Amino acid sequence: MGRLLVPIALLAAVLVAVVAADRPAPRADFVFINRGDISTLDVQKASWMQDLRVIRLLFEGLVRNNVLDRDYTIQPAAAERWEISDDGLVYTFHLRNDACWNVRGEAVPLTAHDFVFSWRRAILPDTGSDYAGQFHLIRGAREFADWRAAQLDEIETLPAGPARRDRAAALWALTERTFDQMVGLRALDDRTLRVELERPTAYFLDLCAFAVFYPVYPPLVRQYDRPDPASGRLDQQQGWTMAGVLVGNGPFTLESWRFKREVRLAKNPLYWNRDSINIDTISIPSSEDANAQVLAFTSGGVDWVSDVTPPYRRHIVDRKKQFYNEHREQYQALVARGLDPIEIDRQLPPDPRKNIHTFPAFGTYFYNFNCQPKLTDGRDNPFADPRVRRAFALAVDKRRIAEQIRGTGEQVAATIVPRNSIANYPSPAGLPYDPPAARALLAEAGYPGGKGFITVELLFNKDAGHDVIAQALAKDFQENLGVSVVLAQKEVKVFRQDLKSQNFMLSRAGWFGDYGDPTTFLDLNRCDDGNNDRKYCSPRYEALMDRAAAETDPLTRLRILAEAERLVVEEDLPMIPLFQYVQVYLFDPHRVSGISSHPRQQQDMFLIDIIGDGKGAEVPRALPPLPPADDPRRVDGPVSLFPGGSAASPLGRARTGGRACSA
Amino acid sequence: MLGLIARRLLQLPLIVGVIYTLTLTLAWAVPGNPVENDEGRRPPQAVIEAIKRQYNLDSFGRFYFSYLDNATGLRWTRDTLSGRAAQQADQARAAGEAAPVRRVFDFGPSLQYDDWRVNQIIGDALPVSIALGAMAMLIAVFVGVGAGIVGAIRPNSLADFATLTVALVGISLPSFVVGTTLLLVFSVWIKAFPIGGWGLGQMILPAVTLSLPFAAYIARLTRMGMLEHLGADFIRTARAKGVSETGIVLRHALKNAFLPVLSYLGPAAAMAMTGSFVVERVFTVPGMGQHFVNAVLNKDLFLIMGVVLVYSTMLVLFNLTVDVLYRWVDPRIE
Repeated sequence: MGRLLVPIALLAAVLVAVVAADRPAPRADFVFINRGDISTLDVQKASWMQDLRVIRLLFEGLVRNNVLDRDYTIQPAAAERWEISDDGLVYTFHLRNDACWNVRGEAVPLTAHDFVFSWRRAILPDTGSDYAGQFHLIRGAREFADWRAAQLDEIETLPAGPARRDRAAALWALTERTFDQMVGLRALDDRTLRVELERPTAYFLDLCAFAVFYPVYPPLVRQYDRPDPASGRLDQQQGWTMAGVLVGNGPFTLESWRFKREVRLAKNPLYWNRDSINIDTISIPSSEDANAQVLAFTSGGVDWVSDVTPPYRRHIVDRKKQFYNEHREQYQALVARGLDPIEIDRQLPPDPRKNIHTFPAFGTYFYNFNCQPKLTDGRDNPFADPRVRRAFALAVDKRRIAEQIRGTGEQVAATIVPRNSIANYPSPAGLPYDPPAARALLAEAGYPGGKGFITVELLFNKDAGHDVIAQALAKDFQENLGVSVVLAQKEVKVFRQDLKSQNFMLSRAGWFGDYGDPTTFLDLNRCDDGNNDRKYCSPRYEALMDRAAAETDPLTRLRILAEAERLVVEEDLPMIPLFQYVQVYLFDPHRVSGISSHPRQQQDMFLIDIIGDGKGAEVPRALPPLPPADDPRRVDGPVSLFPGGSAASPLGRARTGGRACSA
Repeated sequence: MLGLIARRLLQLPLIVGVIYTLTLTLAWAVPGNPVENDEGRRPPQAVIEAIKRQYNLDSFGRFYFSYLDNATGLRWTRDTLSGRAAQQADQARAAGEAAPVRRVFDFGPSLQYDDWRVNQIIGDALPVSIALGAMAMLIAVFVGVGAGIVGAIRPNSLADFATLTVALVGISLPSFVVGTTLLLVFSVWIKAFPIGGWGLGQMILPAVTLSLPFAAYIARLTRMGMLEHLGADFIRTARAKGVSETGIVLRHALKNAFLPVLSYLGPAAAMAMTGSFVVERVFTVPGMGQHFVNAVLNKDLFLIMGVVLVYSTMLVLFNLTVDVLYRWVDPRIE
C-alpha cells in the first residue's frame, strides 16, 4: 500500500516545489488590462497601441501631447524648449539638463546624440520599423534608406570571397559616415538637436510626441544591434527589452515582464518630473478572456479594463443609459454645461452601473472597394466606375448598423477622418443615406434596377460582429439596388492575403490614426501607399495631397486636405465609411483620475491618480468643458476653435531647472 | 528495469522525430504569412524577404534541418566541442558587444512576440502548467478513487448511482461551462478566491475545473477494478481470516484496482501539465495551453514546434515513469 502513495507524493512534491518558487507580488497601486499582450517594447519596432502605451511610460521623447486637453497641445518633455525656423524647415530642440537615463539606478545624462542614434535606427531599412515612413520627413532620410538598401543588395550579388567580405565589413563605418552627410539630423552639442525637414510639416511636433520617435539608450542597444560581417546587415538580437536589462528615461521603470502573465512598472526615482507622478507601481496583468476581464474588474482586482469586449457588453452599456434616464434632469443639465463625460459621471450619485464608459475612438470602420479595372478572375470590375461605388455608398443605412447592430455609442461616419478629432480640420459632409439617388446613379452607370450586375461578394474576416454587419450591408444592397449579394467569411490570414492580392469586390476594413494629422488617414488612398488595398489611384487626389504637403500655412493646408477627403468620401468613394469606432472602458470615475475621453484615444498612465489613496494631488481631472451649447460652432465646427479652454497642464507641478542629471 | 528505461530512452528520439516531421509538415501547409501581423502596418516587401531568409522560412528543407539542429542540442554540442562558441564569445567581447546567448536546446525566436525566444516563453509558461496540472491530478486521484470506492462497496445503491452521475456529468460538461460557473459562484458571489494575477489562491478553481474529467474517468476505472476484485477469491480468504472491512477495501482490493488508474495517470498527467486552452482562458492562467492554439492561429512556426516538442517529450517521459512505477508497485508485471 505504501508504494501506491509514491506517485501521489511525487505529484504533491512537484506542486509544492513550483508554488514555493513562484511568489506572487502584492497588488500594485494601479492595475489595468491592456488591449492585448505586449508584443515588443523595442521603441523603433513597436506598432501596436498596447505596446506604444507602455513604451510611453518607460521612455520619454522630446515633447508630448497633453491628452487631458481638447487641443492635444504639445508640451515640453525631454526638450525644455525648441525653435522653428521661419521657413518651417529647421527645428532646434534644447534638452533639459535634468533629463537622464536610469542605468540600473545610476543617472546618465540624456543627450542629443541619443536621439540621432535612435532615429537613425528607425530609418535604417535593417530595422524594418513599421513607421520608417514617418521619418522620411527628415531631409535625406529616404535617400539614405534607399542607399543603404542598395548597398546591401549589391553585396548580396557579389560572389562569395574575400572581396565580398571586405566590402561587407567596411559597410557599417561607411553607413555611419553617409548618414551624417546625407540626413538633416545633427547633435550640435550634448543638449541641442537640430532637425531639417524635407518640407514644412505642420504636424512634425506631433510626430515627435509619437512613441516611435522616443530615444533608446545607445550603449545598451549597440550591444544587441551588430553588423553581420558576412552580409553587412545589422543583425538585431532580442533581449535588451527584458526587465533588468532595459534602460529607459521615462516616468516608470520596468520591474518585471513575465510572458503573457504580468508587466510590472515602478516609478522612476531618477525621472526629472517624478514629483508629478501620483502612483508608485503599475501592474498590467495578461488576460485574454473578455468575460474574465470584466469579472476581474467587478471583484476589485483591476482598476481599468481598456478594451471591454464580452458578448454582453451592450447590456452593460444599456444599464448605464438606464442610469442616466433615472437621473435625467441632472444629467441633461450637466451635458448642457459641456462637461467631459467622465466629469458628468463624477457629479452624478455613485452607482456601479456608471463604471462603463464609451468614448469615440481615433478609428473608422469601413468597407473597401476594389477599384481596379479587372477582377482577379479576369471579369470586368463594375466597381471601377465611381458612379457604381457612389451608388453603393448611398444605399447603406449606416444608422441601423451603428445604433442597432453595434449599439454601444458608435457614431455614424460619413468621413474617414473621425470628426472633431483633429483641431481646426473642417471635415467634409460626406454622403447621406439616399436609396432613390443610389438607384438613379446605378441606372446611370448602366444597371437599371440592378439588372446585369454581377453577383456582389462581400469579403470579411471571421471575428466577432463582422458577419452581422456584412448581412446588413447585403440586405441594403439587395433591397435598395436590386443586386444579388453573397457573403465570403474567411479566416484572418487568408482574408489578408486576399486583400493584398485584390482578390475581392468589397471587403471589410478598419483604420486607427497614429498621429494628429488628417494624413494619418488620408495617406491610405495615395497611389503608392503600402496599405492601399483598394488600388485607388486618382491624379486629382494626388495633386491635392501634394499641394497640401507643400502648403506652409497650417489652416490653408487643413482646408486642402479636407478638399481631398471630400473627393474620396463624396465623389470617388474608394471606401464606404460606416461608423467611428468607440473605445469601451471599465473604471470607477470616483476612484481613478487621469483617463482621457479625447477621441485621439491616447492614454498616459503617468497621469493616473488613485483618489483616496493619500498619494498625489487627489483632485480628479478631466477634459475642460466645451463652450456653451447654443454656440452653433459647437456641433459642426472643430472643437478647437475655442482656444484657452485649459491653461492647466496635467503635469501642473512640472519642475523646471532642476538639478542637472550628471550631479 | 534498466533495460526497459534504456530501450524507452532510445525510442524517444524516434517518436519525437516522427511527431516533429508530421507537425511541421502540417504547420507549414497552414495558409498565411508568419512574418506579418493580422492587423497593423505591413513592413516593406524587402524587409519581409530578409526576415524570411534569416529564419529559413523560404525553404521547408532548410528550416526542417536547421530547427532540428538547434532544438535537439546538436548545434550546441558541435559548437562547444569545436571551440567555435568560445571563439565567438571572445570576438564579441573584443568588439564591446554582449556575448551571444547560447542555449542547449534552442527553440528559436517567436515570430509573433518580437522580444521573446520560444525558450523564454516555455520557461515562463511550463512551471505554471505543471503546478496546475499536479494539483488537478491530486484532486482527481483523491476524488476519483474516493468516489470509485463508495460506488463499488454498494453497487447499484443510491450512492453508486449518484457518483456515476457525477462522473458522467464531469466527463460530458465542457470545462468552459464548469469554469465559468465556478468563477461566478466562488469568486464573484462568495468572493472566496481572487480573480486576476497568479498564485495559490488563483490556482484552486482552475485546478478543480481541470481535474473534473480526469476524476470522473478515475472514478469509473476504480469502481470497475474494485467490483472485479471484491468478488475475487483472495478477498474471500481475507474475509475468512477476519480482516476488517476497511482493511479489505483499502489494503487488498484497492491495491489491485489502483493499477489501471496508475497506468492512466501517465498520459493524464502529461495532458494536464501541458495546459488546457479553455481552462487557461476562462481563469486567465498564464500556462502552456494557450500557445498550442494561438501559435497555430498566428502561424508562429518556432513556437508551434517548441510546444509540440516539449509536449511529446513529456508524454514519452511520463509514460516511462508510470511504467517504471508500475513494475515497482506490482513486481509481477514483466
